Amino acid sequence: MSTDHIAVLKVREALLVTVPSDPEDATVAALQEQVLRAMERHAGKGLVLDLSGVETVDSYFARTITETAQMVGLMGGRTVLAGMRPSVAMTTVQLGLLFPNALTALDVDRALDLLATPEPDGRRP
Amino acid sequence: MNQAPGGDVVIHSERDIVGARKAVRLAATALGFGLTDVTRIVTAASELARNIVCYAGSGRLRWRGLDAGDRVGLELIFEDRGPGIADLAQAMQDGYTSGRGLGLGLPGTKRLMDEMEIQSTVGQGTIVTVRKWRKT
Repeated sequence: MSTDHIAVLKVREALLVTVPSDPEDATVAALQEQVLRAMERHAGKGLVLDLSGVETVDSYFARTITETAQMVGLMGGRTVLAGMRPSVAMTTVQLGLLFPNALTALDVDRALDLLATPEPDGRRP
Repeated sequence: MNQAPGGDVVIHSERDIVGARKAVRLAATALGFGLTDVTRIVTAASELARNIVCYAGSGRLRWRGLDAGDRVGLELIFEDRGPGIADLAQAMQDGYTSGRGLGLGLPGTKRLMDEMEIQSTVGQGTIVTVRKWRKT
């Protein structure tokens, strides 16, 4: 049982999840499930993951987020990672982590703007 | 080399990975590491603690501050009595995975730290030692 609480909020036409600062594996797995159920329920245009409070991104987190972005893509949505801290970005690149299915934005505002703009080429999950 | 404070964390489930991260974050911060190095050290600890949970089931993290007179560092020792690593050279290759990870664990962790040593005996276990020195 996870001690972290994950809330999936509907903001404009997107789903917004604020990721806790140091999430345990169970929280990250729960996040994936909740997001996919919310995608179906709200028919959102996509998912914004607010990473501005996240202090550690490891390979498990990266893999689960990448999977989630791919699943959101199959459901017709886009995923934006928003607000990654400089220290986390540096560590993530050095560790060799990739997020091939996700877009990125400096903050949540810009991420929501990004999802509000139509895609030129359609979705290729 | 003088001994600065240290401690240990028993690792036997995924939840203990968070416990290991928290202990290492406190230790690295107390030793005066900057935020980016703290993040690197904590992330390395997360990868190595996860290896113990994934491959050995349980083990232990011991950490200690290093005071070498002219420099200050943090040493983390991850020890388990799991199956061991049969081919260390292969395990250190980027992209190699035994199937449960991303194949980034050991080589990625090495890039985040200044020093890394692995002792492993098949059937007996693995000891991974990593060190980071504080930039002055």
